[in-house]
Amino acid sequence: MSQEDPAGENYRTTVKRNRVLHWSWESKLPLECAAHFIRMRSMVDDARIPKPGFWSNWSSWEEADAQNSLGHDPLLVFPKDKLVEEGSNVTICYVSRIHRDNISCYLEGVQIYGEQLDRSVSAFELKNVSFIRKRGTNVFCKVDQGGALGGIVLFVSKVLEEPKDFSCETQDLKTLTCTWDPGSDTGLSKQPSQSYTLFESFSGKKTLCKHRNWCNWQVAQDSQETYNFTLVAENYLRKRSVSILFNLTQRVHPMTPYNLFPKNVGATNATMTWKVHSIGNNSTLLCQLELLAEGKVIQQHNVSIKVNGEYLLSELEPDTEYVARVRCAYTNHFWKWSELISQKFNTAEAAPSEAPDVWRNMKMVSGHPTVSLFWKPLSKVHANGKILFYNVIVENLDKPSRLEVLSIPAPTRSTELTLDQCSYQIHVTAHNSVGPSPASVIVISGDPGNEEVESGRVNGTEDGFSVSWKPQSGDATGYVVEWCDGPQDLPCALQWKNLGPNTTSTVISSGAFRPGVRYNFRIYEISAKRMAHLLEKKAGYLEELAPSDNPQVVMSNLTSHSFTLSWKDYSTESQPGFIQGYHVYLKPKAGEQCPPAFEKTVLPEDSLCCKHTIDNPEQKTFVVENLQPESVYEFFVTAYTSVGEGPLDAFTKITTLDEYSHILIRIILPMIFCVLIVMIICYLKHQWLKEKCYPDIPDPYKSSVLSLIKSKENPHLTIMNINDCVPDAIEVINKPEGSKIQFLGTRKSLTETEFTKPAYIYLLPTEKNYSGPGPCICFENFTYNQAASDFASCGHFPVTPQAPPHQLGPLTSPENLLKALEQNYMNSLGEIPAGEANLNYVSQLASSTSGDKDSLPTNPPEPALCSEYKMQMVIPLGLASAPPSENSSLSSTTLLGQGEHYR
Amino acid sequence: MKVLAAGVVPLLLVLHWKHGAGSPLPITPVNATCATRHPCHSNLMNQIKNQLTQLNSSAKALFILYYTAQGEPFPNNLDKLCSPNVTDFPPFHANGTERARLVELYRIIAYLGASLGNITRDQKVLNPSAHSLHSKLNATADVMRGLLSNVLCRLCSKYHVAHVDVAYGPDTSGKDVFQKKKLGCQLLGKYKQVIAVVAQAF
Repeated sequence: MSQEDPAGENYRTTVKRNRVLHWSWESKLPLECAAHFIRMRSMVDDARIPKPGFWSNWSSWEEADAQNSLGHDPLLVFPKDKLVEEGSNVTICYVSRIHRDNISCYLEGVQIYGEQLDRSVSAFELKNVSFIRKRGTNVFCKVDQGGALGGIVLFVSKVLEEPKDFSCETQDLKTLTCTWDPGSDTGLSKQPSQSYTLFESFSGKKTLCKHRNWCNWQVAQDSQETYNFTLVAENYLRKRSVSILFNLTQRVHPMTPYNLFPKNVGATNATMTWKVHSIGNNSTLLCQLELLAEGKVIQQHNVSIKVNGEYLLSELEPDTEYVARVRCAYTNHFWKWSELISQKFNTAEAAPSEAPDVWRNMKMVSGHPTVSLFWKPLSKVHANGKILFYNVIVENLDKPSRLEVLSIPAPTRSTELTLDQCSYQIHVTAHNSVGPSPASVIVISGDPGNEEVESGRVNGTEDGFSVSWKPQSGDATGYVVEWCDGPQDLPCALQWKNLGPNTTSTVISSGAFRPGVRYNFRIYEISAKRMAHLLEKKAGYLEELAPSDNPQVVMSNLTSHSFTLSWKDYSTESQPGFIQGYHVYLKPKAGEQCPPAFEKTVLPEDSLCCKHTIDNPEQKTFVVENLQPESVYEFFVTAYTSVGEGPLDAFTKITTLDEYSHILIRIILPMIFCVLIVMIICYLKHQWLKEKCYPDIPDPYKSSVLSLIKSKENPHLTIMNINDCVPDAIEVINKPEGSKIQFLGTRKSLTETEFTKPAYIYLLPTEKNYSGPGPCICFENFTYNQAASDFASCGHFPVTPQAPPHQLGPLTSPENLLKALEQNYMNSLGEIPAGEANLNYVSQLASSTSGDKDSLPTNPPEPALCSEYKMQMVIPLGLASAPPSENSSLSSTTLLGQGEHYR
Repeated sequence: MKVLAAGVVPLLLVLHWKHGAGSPLPITPVNATCATRHPCHSNLMNQIKNQLTQLNSSAKALFILYYTAQGEPFPNNLDKLCSPNVTDFPPFHANGTERARLVELYRIIAYLGASLGNITRDQKVLNPSAHSLHSKLNATADVMRGLLSNVLCRLCSKYHVAHVDVAYGPDTSGKDVFQKKKLGCQLLGKYKQVIAVVAQAF
């Protein structure tokens, strides 16, 4: 019995005669830190002596001083290696040999403060210490600024817990296994982990457990049925215990069954067999057999067995994976189920139980009806095994013929048939390894007929499209709703849904449906003859969106007051919503009002604009009118749906025309045309114009100068009339042998013309006898020389402007001139025999050209050529009288350059 | 007696009595006071130098690893807790003869080997999860055993020295935990200091 006292501690006990008293006491303050004193007194404790008794006197104090044996370390800390329990209080002290005040102590790096007991000793009480680590915590004190350092390691243990969930059981009535939850480990480097001891009170036996949470106990052979176990947990600081009392047969936990196997597995049944470990003699076990499909228990059966178990499972699905599992319990007294044992098995296949869902799509290819058949794979429930192939049997209903049978291997889900105009009945069956499914029948009419129907709209919701229709005939055996899962611009992944005959609406839902995509639904009615007729068409959006792009607008008919916009290529079908119309935006020049039919609006960027709304989606042209001439406008057209309009694109600029420009065009264009006509005429008739307006030889009678002269100077001065001038007459003597006249102008001989008698021929035309263009015949008059006259008028003198200078020759050189003459004669008269032309005379009225070298060959018959006056020129006698050669006739020629005249 | 029971006796058994354990002791001739079980390595001094170099190169890391594992206040008070003032540490004279240097080296390695045994034993209890430190201590002790064997072989084969008196450090088994940590730290500090001098001398 102990008693607390601030100054000390009392201890009282009873001691018998001749026995030595041992009292172990632990001071709160380490003994090394202060001297401890003890004294004692006694009294008689005898029933024969009346109470209260009398105490003896106190003995003298006995001192216990550990400080004398501490050694010579300058700074010591106590207690060494103290082990305490978490949450308790502990007192630490230091003893300093150096008697300084600047000593500080730390726990985990944090300074702690205590009480100074004397000059060299201080004590620190650590309250409610907590567990930090298994290897202990350093507590140290040191003299500041490089002095001594002393320390200890304090070990804080976790509080030992009472074992939880303590229980014992047996699997074979021979060994008991006791288990418990030990809680936290109190092991430290100063203290090992707590130990566990199992004690049985009836037998008085105990065993030290080797494990922290379980222990085995051998069942006694003496048929002990009741057991009282106490489990004791113990460490250096504390001891905890827990007890249970039980009957052995009520703690039987059978071992896990084994050898669980399926036997005689069919399509719909199987027999399971298993074994159990026996428990004693003739013990019966209750076993529970569970059947699981896809992780769920679908059957449960209880079976009582001794060693071997067997059970027939029925009502199974063909070609299905099952899991069977078994557990058992002791029948005499249920304590616990054994652990489960599981076994997988698969039932056998059976013929498919349902016809495949078939649909068709008809189209004309090269004039033949072509049917695309589609079918959906059978569900696992109906396939009853792996589908190997599909049989398609085509039967002609209009005329007896052989059945056409197609076998299509799985997993193909479609085929294409080319038919004629007859009606056909098509049977489709699915086959697995056991047999075929019931047939799915569909009838195709050879005459597809006109199946055009009105299109309607359908609204999309979160659940899908709610499609409804009106039945047409009363004998419908069902309806089919058909659609494509993807957008219109992608290949159609045909989908369909079969519905019963009394159904007039359904909800079409698909994970493939996307907002902003138009889906077209076709509702077919299936007749009693299994033929499908198109009933209605519906189009809709799961969710309408604003147009993603704007129309490509073409501008035309621009005038000063209007222009036309058109966007005929804009497809309303492929937009992300039903197009309800268009907005035409127009930006007039600053300060100008909106044209009529436009209203003012504010664009998103806060700019003012004029807007016109077209509420007809098919109206794809618009005339913007009432504009100002010569003004800049900006326009922009966008479509709108119920959600909104398209994106705001860039505006297109346009400038209206000037108001008078079209009038100017109406005047200037005809004028230019007329001028062009006149110029063309002038060009074509320039010769005539020249003659009329500015001839080379002006008509003196028409000259105004004449009148001027007449009136002022000489009234008698007249102009010589050409009729007054008598031309020379040339007598041509006809020679019998004929003569040839060389027509120089044409270089043709006149050998065909023979003169039989002498006649006068007027070789120079007169006004009377000249009847048309003709060659000009030149005769050489030796009284003067014509060589200087225009050579082109009477002969072809092939002297070109590019001729060498020596051919043209200086006239000052007689030899050159004569040579040139001879050469020219040879060239021009080479074909005339010498002496045949014996009449040589050149008239004073020499023929002359206009000087235009180009006109000579093209217009040789011009009469003007021979009516031109030429100046006579005296030729030196030698040159002039030079006899002609025998082989050539002399003719008039010239040595002047082309276009040059001496006047 | 505790010294012999703890770390020193096993070491001596391994180093000195290994070849005779379990078998009758051979009769050693008088003129052959020492004999080795196996012939010494031809290049023995190089082996000794390499082992010293190896110890020198790992001594600092071992020292750091040790005082870090002890926790505060050790890392920040090395001068107070880990100063190499080990009073009974065997001396070493670098300018002595090879024979003298080998004898002194033998004493030093024997001292260090016994102390390392104590430190390793203590740390396995005090810092059971400091596996890196344990590994380093064991590796150092292994090298020291090899070095001691080589030095003995050299002394025996060249200088016919069969026996060298050795001294050991204080046994730490009776000390408190803080003192064990402190003594270990001082020993490793001294080891780091001495091994550098010795490695340089060879």
